[in-house]
Amino acid sequence: MFGIVFNGNGFVWQSYPIFHLGFTRILHIIVSVMYRPPVCHNRNAFLSAFPNNVVSCRHEGPVWQVAWAHPMYGNILASCSYDRKVIIWKEENGTWEKTYEYTGHDSSVNSVCWAPHDYGLILACGSSDGAISLLSYTGDGQWEVKKISNAHTIGCNAVSWAPAVVPGSLIEQPSGQKPNYIKRFASGGCDNLVKIWKEEDGQWKEEQKLEAHSDWVRDVAWAPSIGLPTSTIASCSQDGRVFIWTCDDASGNSWSPKLLHKFNDVVWHVSWSITANILAVSGGDNKVTLWKESVDGLWACISDVNKGQGGVSAVTEGQQNEQ
Amino acid sequence: MKLKEIDLTAMQAWSPAQQHPIYLATGTSAQQLDASFSTNASLEIFELDLSDPSLDMKSCAVISSSHRYHKLIWGPHSMTAGESVSGVLIAGGENGNVILYDPAKILVGNSEAIIAQKDKHTGPVRALDVNMFQTNLVASGANESEIYIWDLNNFATPMTPGAKTQPLEDISCIAWNRQVQHILASASPSGRATVWDLRKNEPIIKVSDHNNRMHCSGLAWHPDVATQMVLASEDDRLPVIQMWDLRFTSSPLRVLESHTRGILAIAWSMADSELLLSCGKDAKILCSNPNTGEVLYELPTNMQWCFDIQWCPRNPAIFSAASFDGRISTYSIMGGSTDGLRQKHVDQLSSSFGNLDPFGTGQPLPPLQLPQQTAPQSVVLPLKKPPRWIRRPVGASFSFGGKLVTFENAKPQQQPGVDQQPQHHYVYVSQVVTEKEFLARSTQLQEAVQSEGFVSYCQKKIDMAQADFERNVWAFLKVNFEEDSRAKYLELLGYRKDDLKNKVSVAESCACVKYFVDGFICQVQPCIINVFICDNKQETEDLGSARKTFNISVSGDVDGLITQALLTGNFESAVDLCLHDNRMADAIILAIAGGQELLSRTQEKYFSKIQSKITRLITAVVTKNWKEIVQSCDLQNWREALAAVLTYARPDEFAALCDLLGNRLESEGDSLLRTQACLCYICAGNVEKLVACWSKVQDGNSPLSLQDLIEKVVILRKAVQLTQAVDPNAVGALLAEKMSQYANLLAAQGSIAAALTFLPANTDQPNIVLLRDRLCRAQGELPAGQEAIRAPYERQPIPKDRAGPVVGQVPGPQTSAQQYYQQVRIAPTVTTWSNKTPTALPSHPPAGCPSDTQGDKPPPPGFIMPGAVNPSAPPQQATSPSYSMYSQAGTRPAYPQTYQSTQQYSFGTGETALYQPQQPIAAPASASYPSPASNTNPPYLPTAHPVPSSLYPGQPQPSPTSLNPASSFPLPPSGASFQHGRPGLPATSVAYALPTGPTGTLPAASDLPASQRTGLMAGIDPPALNRTAKKKKVPDNFMPPVPITSPIMNPLADPQAQTQQPPAAPVGTPSFQPPQLPAGQQAPLGPYAPQALGPGVVPPTTFKPRTEGAPGAPIGNAMQHVQALPTEKITKKPIPEEHLILKTTFEALIQRCLLSASDPQTKRKLDDANKRLEFLYDKLREQTLSPAIVSGLHSIVKSIETRNYVEGLNIHMHIVSTSNFSETSAFMPVLKVVLIQANKLGV
Repeated sequence: MFGIVFNGNGFVWQSYPIFHLGFTRILHIIVSVMYRPPVCHNRNAFLSAFPNNVVSCRHEGPVWQVAWAHPMYGNILASCSYDRKVIIWKEENGTWEKTYEYTGHDSSVNSVCWAPHDYGLILACGSSDGAISLLSYTGDGQWEVKKISNAHTIGCNAVSWAPAVVPGSLIEQPSGQKPNYIKRFASGGCDNLVKIWKEEDGQWKEEQKLEAHSDWVRDVAWAPSIGLPTSTIASCSQDGRVFIWTCDDASGNSWSPKLLHKFNDVVWHVSWSITANILAVSGGDNKVTLWKESVDGLWACISDVNKGQGGVSAVTEGQQNEQ
Repeated sequence: MKLKEIDLTAMQAWSPAQQHPIYLATGTSAQQLDASFSTNASLEIFELDLSDPSLDMKSCAVISSSHRYHKLIWGPHSMTAGESVSGVLIAGGENGNVILYDPAKILVGNSEAIIAQKDKHTGPVRALDVNMFQTNLVASGANESEIYIWDLNNFATPMTPGAKTQPLEDISCIAWNRQVQHILASASPSGRATVWDLRKNEPIIKVSDHNNRMHCSGLAWHPDVATQMVLASEDDRLPVIQMWDLRFTSSPLRVLESHTRGILAIAWSMADSELLLSCGKDAKILCSNPNTGEVLYELPTNMQWCFDIQWCPRNPAIFSAASFDGRISTYSIMGGSTDGLRQKHVDQLSSSFGNLDPFGTGQPLPPLQLPQQTAPQSVVLPLKKPPRWIRRPVGASFSFGGKLVTFENAKPQQQPGVDQQPQHHYVYVSQVVTEKEFLARSTQLQEAVQSEGFVSYCQKKIDMAQADFERNVWAFLKVNFEEDSRAKYLELLGYRKDDLKNKVSVAESCACVKYFVDGFICQVQPCIINVFICDNKQETEDLGSARKTFNISVSGDVDGLITQALLTGNFESAVDLCLHDNRMADAIILAIAGGQELLSRTQEKYFSKIQSKITRLITAVVTKNWKEIVQSCDLQNWREALAAVLTYARPDEFAALCDLLGNRLESEGDSLLRTQACLCYICAGNVEKLVACWSKVQDGNSPLSLQDLIEKVVILRKAVQLTQAVDPNAVGALLAEKMSQYANLLAAQGSIAAALTFLPANTDQPNIVLLRDRLCRAQGELPAGQEAIRAPYERQPIPKDRAGPVVGQVPGPQTSAQQYYQQVRIAPTVTTWSNKTPTALPSHPPAGCPSDTQGDKPPPPGFIMPGAVNPSAPPQQATSPSYSMYSQAGTRPAYPQTYQSTQQYSFGTGETALYQPQQPIAAPASASYPSPASNTNPPYLPTAHPVPSSLYPGQPQPSPTSLNPASSFPLPPSGASFQHGRPGLPATSVAYALPTGPTGTLPAASDLPASQRTGLMAGIDPPALNRTAKKKKVPDNFMPPVPITSPIMNPLADPQAQTQQPPAAPVGTPSFQPPQLPAGQQAPLGPYAPQALGPGVVPPTTFKPRTEGAPGAPIGNAMQHVQALPTEKITKKPIPEEHLILKTTFEALIQRCLLSASDPQTKRKLDDANKRLEFLYDKLREQTLSPAIVSGLHSIVKSIETRNYVEGLNIHMHIVSTSNFSETSAFMPVLKVVLIQANKLGV
């Protein structure tokens, strides 16, 4: 599945390694949650193909990001927008309908991220008002809201959940026994910090404050667990730096940064491959690079992704989709 | 939102963008006196620390100064990366001086912070600006039209941009162009602005407003457009901002009139050219888009005028404003809540009041909460328009299957002012492949598995192997597929039978004893030993017979004693004596004569006495106790031990012995031996152990080493499957984990289909199930099983990608799909596939099989015929179902499967099986309505069958009563059936008319070849396809059919039904007949397949008797039927008896509630609940509910019976809290409603 990020000029994409669905389908969803329909020559084709997907309610500002919930909960999509709203959409009978609208933020909501499905339906939302909200579905159409105020002064730009697996527990955990998950997520904000939040006794507490960036943290991405007892977070910043943070100890206290690279431009987005061994870094110079850690722990650029043409060795079978 | 404030009346300058952390320098303003009327001046630097939530800004350093300032700027000159603080602070003083400070020195408290100072100007220096391109160039403006250009590298002698403008007037503003480095603009309070070209050293343009009322307080160049600039007027009569374009200087391009009084300062954001800040004497701070004139933001201020306003260069959302009330405030334009900050403020206050508040919360001091402030809103809204810096211009994200989705903006820089409309945005999807070798090897492996070319595969591996061990392993694996594998194993271990024979023959020529000395006895087959023993016997016999006479000595020596013992028949003593005398051969020979028991005892004694190297081996050989050898041999000799086991062990104990040896090697051996354990496991065919051992020894993290392992495992599994009767799908936990890891890797490299084939088929480990689900989705299908499990409302798949595009091309199929879909929707129990899909294959059948899905399915098969025969006729549309059915199957290869599957369901009669494919044609239509409850196929089979007699016996009719005559008697001649058809004609047409719109089923099918080929996916595909196809149109037409047909088609009204049936036939009647007759009875599978394939193919099959179910008829019937009937009855299986009580109890409870409920709302609720509980019943029918939930439901029922609804609710809560959300979400909430109502009503 993809997540989608809109920018005011049209829309832009962000994909999340949750599930890959058909491509066209996603375009339709875009159409339905769109604030200002992207101006494109074949837009009408999209709209007409889905007359029943017209959504009565939309965002009143650009939508920055959407996120798919795990399919075990049905077709559920969360979108966040500059209009300060978070809307949770649900597809029923082929139509997308708003099932919940959260208006508790005072500024642009920049990022939404669903928690690992093991926790149930929990959505983390990061806003420019500096707060992070956690919306949990409690059944019967009810959502419970927890809010972390002033998580990042003047704005939170990104949130990303830690995988549900407690690091190191994969091997020892006897199957069948309910593992003792600790809910954690990372956030990045305009205070140049990456913060790690942890739920304790139902309350969210700041567990770690990772300082290395000298400008806005634009995105954070917690790497999917691959069974190793290491947690890894990638963060990228306005200052052009991408850091890889790793934590080997299970208590999650000692994070050490490693500079992946210093780019000459803003780095907007980082994304892990499912197997967590490749990092895609999207730079402000319209360049996407892929990075891989070598055996000796050094990160090397394995490819520039050039417009999906597969021009470089690591990328093949490019496919273009015109918007 | 206000972030920070400083109590100072001062000019301000942000540190340059390169500077981190962010500093704000302030210099005492020359124009205003602060509250203390002090004339002291100072230069202070504050740090902006956003991680500190308080309003205070941290003062880092302050130096006192002899000057007060009119202007302060911080230039990035000579900044080098990495330095903590740098750049140059440039201040314009009261006395015409320009002073350069080194901020680094100020920060460290060095009072010698002044770099240079010049007082070339004759009046106060009000205007300063640094050239963005050459940061060493600073322009300054003062009274008398004085403008100087300073070179910070050569500060002594400033230049002038040209001759002074006339008349002489003060310079209030000066600004370098943002695009062209040699262009400079200056403005004076009179409203005149002059643009200078430094290369020409003269003014090139003068801009002035004709009304002469501009009182220029601000000047700013457009950040992006070189020829545009704005001028702000301080005059209350003309409080405007004018935007000028130098190409058109006769009048301003645009005038912004948002302020009501004079504007004191402006600042244009460098980060977003659509943001211009202005502050004025109306005490407002506005942020407008100068390109449109729209006011985007009005800052809540404290009703004070601001005289200076500055964007923070590094943090684009932040600016600072200096106000006349002696305060510099830092704001964010992104809005937000000030609650946190204000609380801080209040806390401070309350603490300074000596903690009047005992709890320290600040709450008891309400009057002090907002001292002196005009109640600022706690919530500050952000800009109306999203600023440019939060729009992402580019992004790339990974998604499942190694896909990388990338977007980018076509043009990073857009022309401002031009509406950015017709841009093409591209989204790219790329496949990222990083492990080419891995993929290549995986492909080879798959090919080998598919072609069963294991031997050659192993051979290739042997040839390619680099390491000896690797070669060994492959050789062992290969042996598995060869004849006489044990002997081959032995060869691999270095022992050849042929060699052995040679050795033995050599050895035989030596003395017997030599055998024993020879350490290689282990190679000797037991027979040899036997031979040896026999030989000995014979020798003795020979000896005995040769001697004519011999003296039987009974002397007292040993010989004598033995003789005596022998004479008395006391073999035991004789043997003992021999042993005692160390006459082993004698002893054993005697023992043989003494019987088996004695022999074995003697052997024992012998072995315990003789301690040669090989004794134990011999022991083992003789006693057949190989366990002993395996358990106690020196591990260095594992090879020999294994050889012995290979040679001697019985088949039933062989594997165990190999395992045992492997275990020892693994647990006790050194690293080298540990790897050898793998060989033992291979011999044993123990896949699990091999995996465990391998993953212990090898580093399993790299894809290639995983590939190494999987290759071996797969081959070994195949071998084991060949030789032993093992469930090919049985997979141990560890192996399953490895396989899923492997599948994950494959998927990550984009080989989704391959990943699916390697994924263990029948484990319910959650992660594997999850992965399979993902893989299926990645292939564009919805996993069959899951769909069914889910609550009905989730069932509808989103339209498939291709559905849209294909539209129009294949109109026929589409309609069918739709109808099919409708049916599905009518009957919420789309459990059909869920029932059938647990394993790979089944899924097809459910879809196409009439038996259990009569409701939905009957149409498909039937349609085949009509479509084929009479393509242009209306019925043709009906064909679609058939297509959809086939399309489910996917590509051609899959068809056979479909048939097979159908066959599975036909257990009616033996022959019928053959016809089954057809069966649907006839059966569905006629038979389907009659038997609402029956899911069984058998009844229908007969219809298809040509010979009636055979039919009947075979039909177990579950609901014979309901069977309607017409359907049950397929025999009537075709003519009759047609008659029927006539009347019904209208009905059919109606049915057909409804569905419209094409679906993409057929084309879509072709997309799934991979999965089909492997067969694994076969089951999963169909549902997905079907649904997608159906889904689209559903909403439009799915409702209508019901009302039209329902009254007529009422299952109980037989006569009506009869008349109804025919409708289907009418259309095709004439044309169908001929084909039907010839087809005859021997319709084999073959003929039907072709039909399925192409609509144009005329089916040669069909037989007369069947006419009733003739192609045309069934269609109409089936369709209407399906639509008309209360589908649940048809499709649903009965609820298991033990759970029936759930339904009866709940329904009874709802009825009771309904009776006692008074208000309509409650009734509606209950009605709704009644309906929604169907989901529960469906799940019970499918038996998909977990036992915990079911038992919980039973408890609830018990509590209902006792009318203890509260307890019921408690149980309910317990169930909900402990169960899977998706499993219970469909009915538990309703159940709760019912319980609550029941409790409330006290029924």
